[in-house]
Amino acid sequence: MLNIKINGQSIQAEAGKTVLQVAKEHDVHVPTLCYHKDLNPTGNCRMCIVEVKGGRFLQAACVTPIWEGMEIETSSEKVMKDRKLTLELMLANHPVDCMTCDVAGECELQDLAYEYKAEVPAWGAKGTRYKADSDPNPFIRVDMNKCILCRRCESACAEIQGRNVWGVAKRGFDETMVTGAGVPMLEARCESCGQCVAYCPTGALSNKMNYGMARAHQVKKVTTTCSYCGVGCQFDLLVKNNKVIGVSSNPNAPVNGMALCVKGRYAYDYIHHPERVKKPHVRRYLLEGNAKPIVNRKSEIQNPKWDWVETEWDVALDIVAKKFGELRKDFGADSIGLLTSAKCTNEENYLMNKLARQVVGTNNIDHCARL
Amino acid sequence: MKNKNNAYHPISPEIEELARAHEYQPEAALEVLKEIQTRHSTLTTEAITDTARALKLPPHQLYGMATFYSMLSLEERKKVLRVCDGPVCWLKRSSKGSDQSSVISNWSSMVDGQWSVERTSCLGLCDRAPAVLVEDEQAGPVEIGDAKKVCKGWRGVPTEYSKVRKGETRVMTALIGKIDPDSIDDALANDVYSGLKSALQKESIAVLSEVESSGLQGRGGAGFPVGRKWRFVASEKRTPRYIICNADESEPLIFKDRVLMDTNPHQLIEGMTIAGYACGASEAWIYIRGEYESQARRLENAITQAKEKNLLGAKILGTEFSFQIHVHRGAGAYICGEETALIESLEGKRGEPRLRPPYPPTSGFRGQPTAVNNVESFCAVPHIMKNGADWWRNLTGASTPGTKMYMVLGHVKNPGLFEAPFGLTLREIIKKFGGGMQTGSKFKFALCGGAAGTIVDKNMLDIPIDFASSQKGISLGAGSFLICDQSVSPVAFLRELLHFFAAESCGKCTPCRVGTWRSLEILDRMAAGKGQKGDTDELKTLAALMQDSSFCGLGQSVPIPMNSVITHFGAEFAKVEN
Repeated sequence: MLNIKINGQSIQAEAGKTVLQVAKEHDVHVPTLCYHKDLNPTGNCRMCIVEVKGGRFLQAACVTPIWEGMEIETSSEKVMKDRKLTLELMLANHPVDCMTCDVAGECELQDLAYEYKAEVPAWGAKGTRYKADSDPNPFIRVDMNKCILCRRCESACAEIQGRNVWGVAKRGFDETMVTGAGVPMLEARCESCGQCVAYCPTGALSNKMNYGMARAHQVKKVTTTCSYCGVGCQFDLLVKNNKVIGVSSNPNAPVNGMALCVKGRYAYDYIHHPERVKKPHVRRYLLEGNAKPIVNRKSEIQNPKWDWVETEWDVALDIVAKKFGELRKDFGADSIGLLTSAKCTNEENYLMNKLARQVVGTNNIDHCARL
Repeated sequence: MKNKNNAYHPISPEIEELARAHEYQPEAALEVLKEIQTRHSTLTTEAITDTARALKLPPHQLYGMATFYSMLSLEERKKVLRVCDGPVCWLKRSSKGSDQSSVISNWSSMVDGQWSVERTSCLGLCDRAPAVLVEDEQAGPVEIGDAKKVCKGWRGVPTEYSKVRKGETRVMTALIGKIDPDSIDDALANDVYSGLKSALQKESIAVLSEVESSGLQGRGGAGFPVGRKWRFVASEKRTPRYIICNADESEPLIFKDRVLMDTNPHQLIEGMTIAGYACGASEAWIYIRGEYESQARRLENAITQAKEKNLLGAKILGTEFSFQIHVHRGAGAYICGEETALIESLEGKRGEPRLRPPYPPTSGFRGQPTAVNNVESFCAVPHIMKNGADWWRNLTGASTPGTKMYMVLGHVKNPGLFEAPFGLTLREIIKKFGGGMQTGSKFKFALCGGAAGTIVDKNMLDIPIDFASSQKGISLGAGSFLICDQSVSPVAFLRELLHFFAAESCGKCTPCRVGTWRSLEILDRMAAGKGQKGDTDELKTLAALMQDSSFCGLGQSVPIPMNSVITHFGAEFAKVEN
């Protein structure tokens, strides 16, 4: 344990921790922008600078390890002044369009500007340097004007998704984020997982499908488990007017954290799709208790007895139970096989296994994860 | 969604071949890109992507490099003529009345269509200003009127340093003009490598102690004790350990390393080999800036010769010590002179500074213990080995041991390079070594150290300059002094410096990326006489921010000239605020 002082308060902290970690543990607020707890800190943005006694320069709290006897000031006059000015340098080249920006309300830059009362300088490029919505990716909207070069997208893509799509190009004031060798995202091996969007602190990367549909405070967040596979990722459904309009990462999700795949994050439009099957469907002849009609592929569609009819779960399950019973009686339990789905949860799959082995009495159980 | 661009296609055989020649080493990325550019005059998206695939790197990394290094280009250029935009060349041109902003267009109009003319930050040819780089050949001094001649192969007149100036103490420069730098026999006949021979007879720890007790301080500008750095490396348990020579001499005003490598390459190789022996390292790299192609070739030639004489390679001079030196060329980036950025670049990435700690002696090249030293630091080592630490300490009467390479430039009669003790005053540098001010010139201010040095007025002429004198407001830095007379406007001069820093900021951190750009914007209008109220204050505010909050030494030192010039010449800044 090391003895350090933060803002005059003596603190014992574990060696190897950074100033930011210790500050967080002791409820000392240090603002961050390029830092994210899931990603390797880079120390680019210089928002988390703190004053260390005896140091020639201000130190970035996110990357400075603590040492014995360290004395830290997290909100001295110099620090506050520099943070505000750094913010203003970012704002000078950031479009002043918070009124129409999609992420207003959940934008970390906006929050910091508010916190530090940072004015938008009269000079600067103000979002005229790049084309808005510059990438044809169907899910991800790119507006480099809003980028503050924190490089979280690069880290998220490399460290979480392992795709290495995002990177940095050019240098100095012209520096910009690019995908691949300056090609559109999909050509740069992007699999549209949207991790970069989830980690982007500004509106530089946002979701295309619900762009302009609602802001953070206008939606209800409903935490749910993804229904696409058995991993059990959790995320928040964004609900507006009783309609799901999007998905956002839930940082507290136990299995996946902020990470999601393209299906979990963007394939939610089936929810309100008019053709979505919401109730069990049964062939009409079964529902009416008739014998199986003789059908062939050509006549199939014309034969009304062969139609799918929407019904209630109890009705459908009764039919299945009855049929299973008959089949088992006539041909033995092993004449029955159960195939479940990779889209079911682990728990559901477990129950299906119980049903097969203990209720039906067969080991013929499998599921469809043959992706 | 069908994406035909993602359809598989084999890597182009040419790139595959190049990658194989480099054993598919990701570290070779820069070399491969440079080679492709040389062959095809450009780097296409396909070539970059294929190189990335061949070297198993993400394409964005190579694209990032291609757009980071100024010598790489995505545009097609047949032959490239790079016109130096450094402050010394600016001074030379502006004293002849030519306008810097039109230099590029003027040159373009003078050469035929197959030449692409572009600006470049300081070429390190300040003693040959105004300078240009013709493909990879250095030329200077050349005026626009010489353009036709330059295209035909004329390269100006190299500066001659064999004549010893009055008051010089020549140690590292002793053999200038006395040996053929391309001949190892000449070098051996003049006692080069005898320092290595005496080092190899000692225990490595004794060599380390000798360098430590010599008090040799790093000559790159910061003055960190060389022996202590080596001790850190040697005391790391992990092997392999590496030695890196920082020959990325890209700071405006500085060209001493070029002269050292040009005139006596064996001295550097000897110094690095001794460093390797002392630190227990087996391999070394000379990271030389891409603009120093002829010096790089000279070093490669020297390395080959040294290997033939068993002064390098396996079991040097029959001992158990083996050592390899490689030459690695940069591709145009000032920031690569920052040691961690240099290491990043050497590893085949964008030259952006790393987080520190860990420092290179703990975790440097390939994450291994690495000693990074300046060319001049290495060049001093053989002499310490040959003559002993006490000799080095007593070589001059100055408090800082040893000699230093100085460069004096600008409006003095006799600009150039000399070797002398520490603790010279500016007055001595101008009068004694520089031959006094030019006729008609009156001293107005001097930029001391390098581009990131202090700007001082006549009140500081008599302060002895060494690594500690920056506390008093005059810095030694890498030892360069640009003397300016009454014709030079401090505002316009500062604009030139910020122009350099804005062009060379890597862009990693906000204060430096936007701070240098904004400072330049303000200085642009101030230099044009159209400053606005509060401009000087804004410059001061930006300087304070960059100094306190920047990520690395580049941003932290930009404010040094800004603050010092505003302190001394605040009135001239106020004058252009309307």
